[in-house]
Amino acid sequence: MRAAILTDVTKCIGCEECVMACKKTNHQTADVPRRWDAGDGLTSRNWTSIVSGPAQSHVRKQCRHCLEPACVSACPVGAMHKTGIGAVVYDAAKCMGCRYCMMACPYGIPRYEWDAAVPYVRKCILCYERISYGQQPACTEICPTKATIFGDRDALLAEAHRRIAEKPDLYWNKVWGETEAHGSSVLYISNVDLSLLTDGHAIPSDPLPEKTAVAMGAVPYTFCGVLAVMGTVNWVIGRRIKLQKENSDGQSPKT
Amino acid sequence: MDRVRKLKLVLWLGVGLALSVAVARFLFGLGATTNLGDANAWGLWVGFDVMGGVALAAGGFIVTAVVYIFKLERFHAIVRPAVLTAFLGYAAVAFSLLFDLGLPWNIWHMMVYWNPHSALFEVGWCVMLYLTVLTLEFFPVPAEEFPRLSKVRAVLVRFRLPLVLAGIGLSTLHQSSLGSLFLIMPYRLHPLWYSPILPVMFLVSAIVLGMMMVTFESHLTAFLYRRKPETEVLASFAGAARWVLLLYLAVRFGDLAVRHQAHRLIEAGFHTYLFWFEICVMALVPLVLLSIPRVRRCTAGQWTVAAMGVFGVVFNRIDTGGLAHLRPAGGFYVPSWTEVSISLGIVSAAALLFLFAMERFHVWEERPADPAADPLHAPEFDKVGTTWLGVPAVASRTVYSLAVILAAALGFGFLTAQRAQSRGLEPVAVHRARGGEVLWIDGNLDGFGVAFKHAEHVKREGDKASCVLCHHMNLPHDENSACASCHRDMYQAVDGFRHDWHASPAGGNIACYQCHTRGQVRTASNAVRCDHCHKDLVPAKAVIQVKTYHTVSYVDAMHRTCIGCHTKKAAEKKKPEMVQCAWCHKESREILDARDIDLRRRGASAGSPVLPPVGQ
Repeated sequence: MRAAILTDVTKCIGCEECVMACKKTNHQTADVPRRWDAGDGLTSRNWTSIVSGPAQSHVRKQCRHCLEPACVSACPVGAMHKTGIGAVVYDAAKCMGCRYCMMACPYGIPRYEWDAAVPYVRKCILCYERISYGQQPACTEICPTKATIFGDRDALLAEAHRRIAEKPDLYWNKVWGETEAHGSSVLYISNVDLSLLTDGHAIPSDPLPEKTAVAMGAVPYTFCGVLAVMGTVNWVIGRRIKLQKENSDGQSPKT
Repeated sequence: MDRVRKLKLVLWLGVGLALSVAVARFLFGLGATTNLGDANAWGLWVGFDVMGGVALAAGGFIVTAVVYIFKLERFHAIVRPAVLTAFLGYAAVAFSLLFDLGLPWNIWHMMVYWNPHSALFEVGWCVMLYLTVLTLEFFPVPAEEFPRLSKVRAVLVRFRLPLVLAGIGLSTLHQSSLGSLFLIMPYRLHPLWYSPILPVMFLVSAIVLGMMMVTFESHLTAFLYRRKPETEVLASFAGAARWVLLLYLAVRFGDLAVRHQAHRLIEAGFHTYLFWFEICVMALVPLVLLSIPRVRRCTAGQWTVAAMGVFGVVFNRIDTGGLAHLRPAGGFYVPSWTEVSISLGIVSAAALLFLFAMERFHVWEERPADPAADPLHAPEFDKVGTTWLGVPAVASRTVYSLAVILAAALGFGFLTAQRAQSRGLEPVAVHRARGGEVLWIDGNLDGFGVAFKHAEHVKREGDKASCVLCHHMNLPHDENSACASCHRDMYQAVDGFRHDWHASPAGGNIACYQCHTRGQVRTASNAVRCDHCHKDLVPAKAVIQVKTYHTVSYVDAMHRTCIGCHTKKAAEKKKPEMVQCAWCHKESREILDARDIDLRRRGASAGSPVLPPVGQ
């Protein structure tokens, strides 16, 4: 099973029960506005939030748990990790605080504990412990209108397409998270454009780690190539100088 | 005071200021000392200290390549300063990383936990390896001064060629990998900067910068120590720099054309102006100037072009590292003075080490003398304090120490407690209730709130004496009490059973044993339940079951008990609006229209916009 969450924006009433349940489950304390907040309600203590969209809609923002996560490929020490079940989790013991994951995430999800002298990266972990006990994440469990539901990714995709086919006038004909950046475990269907979650960008389907992979793949060849070229140049020039010297010393050079 | 000592004084001031800020950085964390935030996680320390620092160190591999690989012996005079700069540059990068990393004591994790897919992993390893190579490359220079190290020196000199080769290979990788860092963020970096060939651009511009930096240094030390600069050698360097600049421009503009982004060059906007400023300072103007042979060959021309080029390429790194990022959500990032002072402090420390090495070791062909160490120099009085400062060497040390202490004290003075310990809390302004008396309170800005009748509260609680019941400045982060501090039953579970009232003769007048078992310690667990007396408390078909003496809050009582039934009934009666908030919260629905919500969102909430009385 590949764990996934489907959020139906049309059903969300913005009650923020999911936010509170998330806080309770992950033992997060109350939050107050801080200078470094990004303004979307996500903070190091709020791992999910409700963003107000157009037409009085409420859109839940959380980690997408991408199938090809940019943060996992970016982390130089492998502190970000995609588990077998689908959750992207964070190993605080490995982290060294470079914040490259925050820069790499196309959705701008990871948050930092800016106020702490020993800060860690914080983000939704899809309640992977609860999932491994056979429970569902706290947010989907509590949702009073079943606007956000938990299940197998393929089943949820089918459900999403079924709902869209049922009410084509209501929904945009698109499942957000199906293909974007090679797809994600958190899916959305909506009656409003959800590019508001990505600052208005539409995210193409090619996986982000591949963009770096091209450059990283060239590393050994570049290194060996540079060494070979420079070594050869050095040898050729050295030999020329030697021959020239021999020549000027009066000995006949070998042709 | 001559030029060198003036410069050193300024540099020591920078070091002292950075020392005080460094203390605050490690005591209070990144939030207290930087303007970084969740929307801009990287700032000046990455853009300037790390990326700029590495680029500034590019002179090392270029000059060693020219001299040891291409065997152009006439450039030999500038090898040692170039390697020294590279060494100090990389040391500064490694050092400044300790400030930028959230958990700098974990920096060694890079060696143990590998993730070869990460561009930053490559960057980290290149820093470590190349810093080692540079140490070995430069070590023979100080070793000259110590006869006991002659054997080590001989071994290192014998292995010079492999070291130089390794240095060139690692530098090529490293300069380009700083570009690779940004390949994964196409949605963050502006299209005028983002390109799949960023690594190539970074490498080419690093070569430009390396040449400029060597030139700049030569002229700067020549000016400081009244030494003759290597103008003729550097002129041929400048000649070569022309072609690299041309190549860079071709790659940069060619790439824009291939990616169909050329139209952005003529758009009006911050990023376009930034791009043109950067490209002019970095490449266009230097290229034009270098194309004029007279400029190329004269000291002033070289000096100008080098200064421009160095500034331009470092500016390019700062742009790529943060300034040219798209961030509609988090606003604009301007580094705080603490960030700037750490950066300047690290540069100052590196420059001081450079000057020290130059005076102490055989870095330039002719070693410039430290003017302060001249034994024939007359002893000094401090003109201001008329204090005896002693011989110049001692006098300098006194003045520099004073500079460090003063600057550090100044830094500590500016690092106010509020800045260092505010933990980023946004201050909230206090306003009088203006105009009307009904305030709309919507704490979480979700569009739903309550109409707070101020006048009624004042009347009920006793006129002016009642202000302090709610308005007091001693609560942390809060200028007044939350509603829930009085209206406890709104959000907090309350003790529904009033024991005092039941036991009091004026109230229930019930003896203890009527509820608690006789002869036992009287606790809630051995008392009878409420329905023992209140037979009608729980009707037969009641939804609410009495289990404890605590009742849930008003909000929970309404929501938890109502919503379930509403959901059921909505399905039965096919009236989906029955589960919507506005079905019950009718008051909110009437008051709110889109304009009101918008007004509140734009920060008017702090000023408590006054609404017409409810019902109009």
